[in-house]
Amino acid sequence: MMTVGVETVEGGVVISPQGRLTVVSTPQLRTEVSTRIEAGDRLIIVDLSQTTFVDSSGLGALVSCLKSARQAGGDLRLVAPTEQVSMVLKLTNLDRILQPRASVEEALHD
Amino acid sequence: MTESDGVSVIDVAAVPESIDLVQNTFEAWWSALGIDSMEVRFPFETAIVEIAANVIEHSIRADGLEGVDGRRFQLELRAEDERLTAVFNDNGLPAEIDLSNVSMADLEDEDGRGLALALLSLESLDYTHEGGRNIWTLVCRR
Repeated sequence: MMTVGVETVEGGVVISPQGRLTVVSTPQLRTEVSTRIEAGDRLIIVDLSQTTFVDSSGLGALVSCLKSARQAGGDLRLVAPTEQVSMVLKLTNLDRILQPRASVEEALHD
Repeated sequence: MTESDGVSVIDVAAVPESIDLVQNTFEAWWSALGIDSMEVRFPFETAIVEIAANVIEHSIRADGLEGVDGRRFQLELRAEDERLTAVFNDNGLPAEIDLSNVSMADLEDEDGRGLALALLSLESLDYTHEGGRNIWTLVCRR
């Protein structure tokens, strides 16, 4: 099960998947991110501090959302991944294009 | 779900929603083992979820968009002194998979990471088709 928190902050929007981000729940994340991009948000911050698990479909969704944000002239930044999420980002080398920041504050001002 | 000394077995429909059942079963099994190391848990759990997703996706793809009622898979989790084993078996069509030919997707790709991630996370991963069933065996050191 996963829920997605959304909070508008000065300079961007923070999207927080809470729980497991797997093939079952990735459509929720994709929908939320594309809705925010269509609404005009350009800096998408994905706060992973409450995301307990990510599988390859979750990683694919993050890559897709990154590409959508950049195509719209913006960016997508990850924040505070948990231990399992850091592991899969490293194993797949995705930490090179989705380099995590320590906090939302850091992601906003990077 | 059935459970006895270090062994847990589930039999579920080959549909995406079963991924959550697989993970819930894994969590209960893992808690009962009392192993603290997340360095053992996370790779094994990741590989199990990837193979479960692969089994489900293959069932749906091989049977066409509508799928075939009755496609199911069984997962057995087993803990022994030195290793942990997960065995999936399903009644789907044979999978045409060459594990020696699996590589990690490019950074910009949106899929194609599942099997590579499973292989990187395990001591060994084997696939066979026996008696009309696909059998995946996942092993990691504990």
